[in-house]
Amino acid sequence: MAGVNPEVRSMAYLVLLGRLIVSVAFILAALPKIQDPAAFAISVEGYRVVTANLAMWIALVLPWLELATGFGLLIPQIRRGSNLIIALLLIVFIALHASAWARGLDINCGCFNAHESEKTPDYLWLILRNIGLLTACIFVLIRDWQHRVRREDTSTS
Amino acid sequence: MLREFCIILLLTVIGVAYSLVSGLSPLPRAVTALEAGEICLADAQAIGVIWVDAGGIKKIEETHIPDALFFDEDDWDTRLFELMNTWLIEPRPIVIYCESEGCDTSKRIAKRLRQSLPEAEIYSLKGGRGAWQE
Repeated sequence: MAGVNPEVRSMAYLVLLGRLIVSVAFILAALPKIQDPAAFAISVEGYRVVTANLAMWIALVLPWLELATGFGLLIPQIRRGSNLIIALLLIVFIALHASAWARGLDINCGCFNAHESEKTPDYLWLILRNIGLLTACIFVLIRDWQHRVRREDTSTS
Repeated sequence: MLREFCIILLLTVIGVAYSLVSGLSPLPRAVTALEAGEICLADAQAIGVIWVDAGGIKKIEETHIPDALFFDEDDWDTRLFELMNTWLIEPRPIVIYCESEGCDTSKRIAKRLRQSLPEAEIYSLKGGRGAWQE
């Protein structure tokens, strides 16, 4: 990036950092659930918003979607799509945690490890963590969009 | 953007297929509805219950849910007294389980206990100990 404005350069590093954090979080979240989908299905059932059969399908599909989008954030060809899906997933997770908290459910979060069930989840921490990841996601999305618009303007002029 | 979603979907489907083919995940099965007086494991864990193992002394020594009380029908009065003591200290729903979905002991004991402890909320665990071990 020789000759590039330092402000632009530091912003690029910030975007890269945001992307890396979200990507690593989603990959780490997906791996234990892929290895033990049955335990994850029990976690999903614990939220009491879907039937047991649907929970099983979610436990089968969701970890792979998390893994694909986690890696996807680092692949230029599918970066935007991955970012958008992750942002939507995080909004759903925040809503689910808030709902479980409001209902006073003592459940396994099922976030990073399917066997977290022994202790009561700290809902505030879970929600704040997801809000942090969502903020990083939105920041990266906006920067990508601005970058794209700028590039289109340059190519048309 | 549509192309990106298609690629992500394709990657996800490949992953799901791998889970199913490699045996990491069983095929999501059609779940039968709960019968009257039954509770599923997730619900029991969520509300915090008194676990009662009705699977026989040998089995409880091998494997049982932590803090579960052993319940032997042949020694009804002693076991009932023990259970009442626990329940009176901290009243919670009582969940009885036995070996598996097929065993009837838990349902039978639950039925008898509802008569002995009419004020308690008593269930039998769907899937029995098998549901816990899964």
